[in-house]
Amino acid sequence: MRKIFPPNELARDERFVRTKIEDRVFDPRNAALMERDLGSARLEPSRPAAADRARSLMHGIFVGEIQALEGAGRTCFDFDDQDAPFQLKLDMARQCWDESRHVEISVKLGEWMGSEIGEFTESTFLYEAACADDPVMRLCGVNRALEGLAIDVFNTMKEFGDIAGDPVLEFCEDWMLADEVTHVKMGSDWLRRLTEKDPERRDRALEFQRTVDKIFSLGGFRGESEENPVHLARKFRRMAGFDEAEMDELVEIANQAQAEAEAMATAAAQAGPGAGAGTYGS
Amino acid sequence: MTEVAVTPDPFKLVPYDTAAVTALAKEAAATVGFPDGVAVTLEIDEVLPHPVTGTFVDLAAPDRVEMWMSGANFEDPKRPVKFQEALARAELVRAFLRGADRLRPDFAAAPADEDLTDRQRAAWDVWTEGRLARLGVPGARPDRLRYHYRLHHGFNDVADAVFERLWVADALTWDDLERACAETDAADTRGRPKRTALRREQLRAPKPS
Repeated sequence: MRKIFPPNELARDERFVRTKIEDRVFDPRNAALMERDLGSARLEPSRPAAADRARSLMHGIFVGEIQALEGAGRTCFDFDDQDAPFQLKLDMARQCWDESRHVEISVKLGEWMGSEIGEFTESTFLYEAACADDPVMRLCGVNRALEGLAIDVFNTMKEFGDIAGDPVLEFCEDWMLADEVTHVKMGSDWLRRLTEKDPERRDRALEFQRTVDKIFSLGGFRGESEENPVHLARKFRRMAGFDEAEMDELVEIANQAQAEAEAMATAAAQAGPGAGAGTYGS
Repeated sequence: MTEVAVTPDPFKLVPYDTAAVTALAKEAAATVGFPDGVAVTLEIDEVLPHPVTGTFVDLAAPDRVEMWMSGANFEDPKRPVKFQEALARAELVRAFLRGADRLRPDFAAAPADEDLTDRQRAAWDVWTEGRLARLGVPGARPDRLRYHYRLHHGFNDVADAVFERLWVADALTWDDLERACAETDAADTRGRPKRTALRREQLRAPKPS
């Protein structure tokens, strides 16, 4: 069985349709959209199209859980015991069990919210972060960066359920959030143990984490202002082993990502209709 | 046949075809039995992407209905900027059903769409969706609408019972919808939202400099 499984060969049935991150970044509507005063972007029931936004985010969580399962599963298999100690693989196996449960919960939550499997598009960049050839990078890219994002997203959904008075959503997100804190802590603990005598390796891994964090800030998706739909869940990140300086840096990375996305949208608009990916002629 | 004027013409940001949307709108008018003598203007905001959906249907004059829709209402959720005909057909039938309601004297007291509360709007949407399903138009999604409705009416048995009643109703008046809202309001123990939903005019407004 081959190691380092390519993202384009992940098994999906015909319900799933994939899009590239560039399609979102170069969407020809972005520049005009940024000119609009859309008010607070926080996910709240009183926001326009709140149900559609929540369903879309829920579906994003669902496909993210599938890819997290696939990534943790690969880490159990892709490395020998010298690169990845048995105890680390045991933690990854436990994570697979958690992610499987999260997939099932997400499917049921999607149904509860009136959605269905494959209703929205899937991007595979979560799994792509799990394809690094160094297990420490995977732990930083997936467990610390992406599972960290999951903490922020689940906390946002939990708050949405709380404000809406949706007991099912609030309860389920709370339970999944607890698992995500554990997954991030696994990443923090193993990063420290595996790089104890190799600070350069640790630096490389943390740099990779910053890159993943920036990509996953998705041009303003996550941050600490009213313009960000998902907010940094500092309390839960602290429980998962993040210190204040790391969280401050993450906010800065998110701000940079937002500024760069706005600059790209402006540049695409100045180049005129038809510029960038996902364009069409008429 | 109902006169329908669609803008923009042409679309500049999304590959939607004005003539195709116009044809679907006329088909929707015929499906719901919309009166011939009433002119319809339909503005589609092509800037808004999925999932920022939204529809406003108002009476501009006794013989003219104004519709505004987010371009996201017609957009394939799996494929950014791609027009999805089935989705558009269902959205337009919903809009014409609500437009036809507004033309009736027993809806004269209904506030403009911008001024409807989220509760009023969600109740009206449920009744509309039930009729869409009974007309046999593909695309009715009771579970989807139930969640939208529960967000504004509450997650409780009273709200669910009112949902079922609205869904199967053939003929309702504005007063009937008001009574349904009062019933769910009385059973709703949640705190009131701190702010009201943004409205169309706000969605269209430029950012303050």
